[in-house]
Amino acid sequence: MKKIALLLLFVCGAATAQKELPNVNLKSLENKSVNIKSDFSEKDKVYVYVFWATWCAPCIQELDAMNDLYTDWKEELDMEIIAVSIDDARTGKRVKPLVNGRSWDYTVVLDTNQDLKRSLSIANPPYTVVVKNGKIVFEQAGHAPGSETQFFEKLKSL
Amino acid sequence: MNKKLVLSIILLSAINVFAQQENDTIVKTKFKFNGGLESNAQWYLNDKEREIQHPEDPFRSNNYLNLRLNYGKFTVGTQIESYYKQALLNYNPAFKDTDFSLYYANYKSKTLDITAGHFYEQFGSGLLLRAWEDRALGINTALRGGKVNFKPVESVSITALYGRQKSGFHVTDGDVFGLNTDLDIANLIKVDNFGLTSGFSYVMRSQDIPETVTDPKFNKKTGAYSGRLGFSKGGFYISSEYNFKEKEPIYQPATGLDYNFIKDGNALLVNFGYSERGLGIDATLRRMENMSFLSERVPFVYPAQGTQLPTNSLDFNDRVLNFTPALTKQHHSNLANIYVYQAQSRVSLDPTTNIAKAGEIGGQFDVFYNFKKGSTLGGEYGTKVALNVSSWFNLDADYQFFDANNAYKPDYDTNFFGTSQKYFSDYNLEISKKISKNFRGSFMYINQYYNNQFIQGQSQENVIKTNIVFAEGIYTFSGSRSITVGAEHMWADNDRKNWASLLVEYNHNMNWSIFAMDMYNYGFDKNSQLIDDEYDTFKIHFYNAGITYRKNSSRFSLGYGRQRGGLVCAGGVCRFVPASTGISFTISTSF
Repeated sequence: MKKIALLLLFVCGAATAQKELPNVNLKSLENKSVNIKSDFSEKDKVYVYVFWATWCAPCIQELDAMNDLYTDWKEELDMEIIAVSIDDARTGKRVKPLVNGRSWDYTVVLDTNQDLKRSLSIANPPYTVVVKNGKIVFEQAGHAPGSETQFFEKLKSL
Repeated sequence: MNKKLVLSIILLSAINVFAQQENDTIVKTKFKFNGGLESNAQWYLNDKEREIQHPEDPFRSNNYLNLRLNYGKFTVGTQIESYYKQALLNYNPAFKDTDFSLYYANYKSKTLDITAGHFYEQFGSGLLLRAWEDRALGINTALRGGKVNFKPVESVSITALYGRQKSGFHVTDGDVFGLNTDLDIANLIKVDNFGLTSGFSYVMRSQDIPETVTDPKFNKKTGAYSGRLGFSKGGFYISSEYNFKEKEPIYQPATGLDYNFIKDGNALLVNFGYSERGLGIDATLRRMENMSFLSERVPFVYPAQGTQLPTNSLDFNDRVLNFTPALTKQHHSNLANIYVYQAQSRVSLDPTTNIAKAGEIGGQFDVFYNFKKGSTLGGEYGTKVALNVSSWFNLDADYQFFDANNAYKPDYDTNFFGTSQKYFSDYNLEISKKISKNFRGSFMYINQYYNNQFIQGQSQENVIKTNIVFAEGIYTFSGSRSITVGAEHMWADNDRKNWASLLVEYNHNMNWSIFAMDMYNYGFDKNSQLIDDEYDTFKIHFYNAGITYRKNSSRFSLGYGRQRGGLVCAGGVCRFVPASTGISFTISTSF
């Protein structure tokens, strides 16, 4: 009975589409406050939030691969990638040198207390959230190496 | 409990339906509902070769359901957890059955953020206070009470909180008070050619002293203070944090809480580095002395069960107020995760093993460098290099086990900058490179030193030195398909000796992946001195295979294989898992 009730609730919830990002302020690498919603709100622009951590090898692999394609992608589509680091106090200090050392061109924000990750109920990185005109239009749990082209086709279709 | 659960589900569903209906009419809804579900299940099987019998309840699962309802500035939420029929092996025994794990109500405006109920929080680097959750480790140290965060201007943040710490589905007896301020001084005085920040924290745990303790030499209230300062200019940055914890009696698993062994504690953390595009250099130094800070002075003891020895809440990282992770690199290589360092924050003076330690001192150093495209070493696509070095030592101190009458009277007197026995070191270099349009690869060399005698506290000398080489290649073909192959080998001079590992993963598209891997421990010999000699005392293959399906915000995976007994670590914190063989199934989704 209990489990059936839970399942029902789950289906109910899943039906409520049209999620939005929560109103959360995070710090940038330059220690500036960034509002995850209002600072990324240009009309019709596609915002790609990639949740990652310095200890997450598939995340780094994904961001490395996309960094090689990023210039071409931006020419073809009005888009921006925001790399949301969920590193905690243990590894947080390695974020800035790693981002610079790998020459990433992304906007990087720090979700040190994992408030944003938690409010989106994200289990594990890598996790991608795509926002257009204030609405979450696509989400992807995990990353498959080599699927970058397929992902970009998806972005263009949104 | 069941009634409560069903009732709230009906209530939440009703609100949810209401919100949707409103959406269909002209009135624009302000209700937003979202949540997530995570389920980790195991079917434990018998394994003849390993002589492993599955536990009494072979099917076990840990399930988490989050629900959150937002209306403008107000949010209410809950987390329901279910451990069916029991929690996975070696999880905190406090997690059992189904119940509400968290519930909270929150108001958030531009300047105020108020929470009543359960909340997570971290002050500074967490050396005094960190309330957090890690499901893989079975950690949830949320506080239940109230928290107010006030930001009068962007550069000033003040937090005050009170709560009792969650342990399983209950809370502990200690009252926890906290106050934290963070100031962006450079911004306040409106300069922008350098950065200057500072912070101050105060955390106090109050717990009654048992009446059996006559004339206690410590206070009911144990306070802890922390000060922080950070400076940056151009690509250069430096920050430091000092923490002090007032004196309290010391707990040791062998002797319990010793009301005559009373010490204060402290920790110093210094971080500095330089970075510009293509280069990053970072160094972190840390010294910790007696920095165990618990929500109750005595850990909770769980009695022995069958063949399993008694355990206590510390074994499950439970009832811990602060966060003292190991500052070492968390490796992607499977074999480099066999001998993993655990930070030594606690005091241990054990006359049976002759091990005396009061903390740790050491550091970690990183260099990241990108050889540009078109340069000699960069080639057509560039070459990325990452060097990481870490070394950790016991504190240099005069340790005393016995007094003049040869009675156990532990004591120590530390030297601030000295080092004593080496606990652990890890020197590693990683080179990663895109070789052609469709192929990228990486190579890694790792050298580790693991002093088991001092890390885990054994009577005999037992040091393991390892050398690991790891190569991985990812080949992409026909659009979105790819194959990943990872091969590694570890030469170890002790314990279970040598290991070889091979991983093959095929990704069909964004949605489907399959993998197969084997870790083969072949150097084992009957006379070797093992860290843990209970399990798998023969040459053994740890094979695993699985399939994953991802679609939008959901991920499903099914696997079969053998789990090595030992420590499983995430984020510098470890959990002991027993040797097992079985089928695993995980689901995670958010909505």
